[in-house]
Amino acid sequence: MIGLDVGSTAAKMVWIENGDIKFRITSTHKWKELVEGIDGDNIVSTGYFRNSVPHRASLTELTAAIYGVRHYFPNAEVIVDIGGQDTKVIDVRNNNFLINDKCSAGTGAFLEFVANYFRIELHELGTMHAKADRIPDINNTCGVFALSEMISQLVGGYTKEEVIAGMHYAFARKISYMIPEARSIVLIGGTVKNEGLVAALRDVLKKEVLIPDEPQIINALGALKYFS
Amino acid sequence: MQKHKLILNIRMPVKKIGITALVPPELIFACGASPFDVNNVIPSSRKYPGNKLCAWTAIWKEMLVKKEIHVDSLIVVAGGDCHNALVDGQKAAMSGINTHFFFYPFDGDPLYMESQLHRLSEFLGGIKRPEKFKEIRELKKQGLIIDTKRCCGKLSSSEAFRTLISFSDLAGDLPGFTRNISTLEETDIDLGNRIALIGVPPIYHDFHEVARSLGLHIVFDELPYEFIRHGGTTIQEMAHDYCNYTFARPLEFRIDFLKKELRRRKVDGVIHYTQFACHHMLEDEIMRKKLDYPMLTIQGDLPGNTPQQIKLRLEAFREMLDRI
Repeated sequence: MIGLDVGSTAAKMVWIENGDIKFRITSTHKWKELVEGIDGDNIVSTGYFRNSVPHRASLTELTAAIYGVRHYFPNAEVIVDIGGQDTKVIDVRNNNFLINDKCSAGTGAFLEFVANYFRIELHELGTMHAKADRIPDINNTCGVFALSEMISQLVGGYTKEEVIAGMHYAFARKISYMIPEARSIVLIGGTVKNEGLVAALRDVLKKEVLIPDEPQIINALGALKYFS
Repeated sequence: MQKHKLILNIRMPVKKIGITALVPPELIFACGASPFDVNNVIPSSRKYPGNKLCAWTAIWKEMLVKKEIHVDSLIVVAGGDCHNALVDGQKAAMSGINTHFFFYPFDGDPLYMESQLHRLSEFLGGIKRPEKFKEIRELKKQGLIIDTKRCCGKLSSSEAFRTLISFSDLAGDLPGFTRNISTLEETDIDLGNRIALIGVPPIYHDFHEVARSLGLHIVFDELPYEFIRHGGTTIQEMAHDYCNYTFARPLEFRIDFLKKELRRRKVDGVIHYTQFACHHMLEDEIMRKKLDYPMLTIQGDLPGNTPQQIKLRLEAFREMLDRI
């Protein structure tokens, strides 16, 4: 059996082989390549398109996240899943969740928007952040206006690296308003691969931040665990 | 003889009275008029108003001003219920619609309520058909039976909701409404997760069906229940009953009432529907603290089908209830 997570920007497939977790990741529009030759009866799905792909059973990415995270952190209190089009905060202790899907400013889409503006690859945002000497204030909570503010900071003399670091802090502050009191949080989702964003989140949240080895496959793994 | 017969058959046309929230329909009918709840057309309206906070009030305001809804007069429930209605009601009034502002007492004072009902009666030209009070009291008893049937799985939540929400104006047509109620057929429904829906009704026309398809059976609709549980056969009786309209009273009063209803209906979880830019959103954290049930808060904005984002939340909530 395989766990298939087809989200808004990426499709992830997980299976267990001799006790080891194996996975493949591709763009959402290429999801069919992942399941080529696999019968729908052997697929359990999750993610935004969970019901649009062949599957034996499906569950929401919120429940899948809990089961996937527990594999790495059995006592997880709060999970923050930063996806391509939304951010989900799951309070495992209180069976509660919050989803930001109305505003792009706290989602992977915003980071992509910024990377496109600077004509750099998404994964370069983290390495550029590390080179920043100063962190400019970017206060706007709207993604589009935040970009205008970033341009103003560039004109004002900040380097590209510093402005990107400032943007990561603005992103982290935006998410922090959704996160309840907890000793630690677990970050998952493809966006968490951005080390600059994680550094900003650690600084803003002032709590222990745990990240699984491969944060992007957690929901696919969770679907597999739930139905196994 | 022929001429005499003609004169007897002449009737004054029944005035259509727009209402923006709970206004005692028995009083409107008793005054010889017909109520029309301007909210009831909104979920299927596909209207996207230009200048808005809450889409509910913005849409009825726009439709009234543009004469897409025709009413002879308008009663705006302003005090103690919907704050946006106070402004949008005035905009409707400024467009030339004969408008009356109706206020509920925050402290539940029946004398104040009585004075408001007398003022309303005067605005409507006085009571001409007092027999309507008893007729509507009997109809509301039917409403309570429908509510009970839904709660024990004898009626679908969507059918019950559609009927109960119409009790605000009784479809403006008592014989027609009575006929419609009598056509409701009993069925056997596996209730699964028993859900209370609190707050204003969702602006999505298919919400109850969607919730049901995702394994959530709504056994309590807070606002429609207010439409069927209040009444009276005189202004004094109505004043003593309608002064306890929970939406207009302090939160503690409403929460105490909710606790009893949720316990009585043995609910497994609560969905708090909030409307974008509605003051009820501010109440969410209090509801979460005071009501000891798993709670999902959702926020809607414009009318139409229940959006995918809301469906995801409902499905995740169902999964959560299944885990508990």
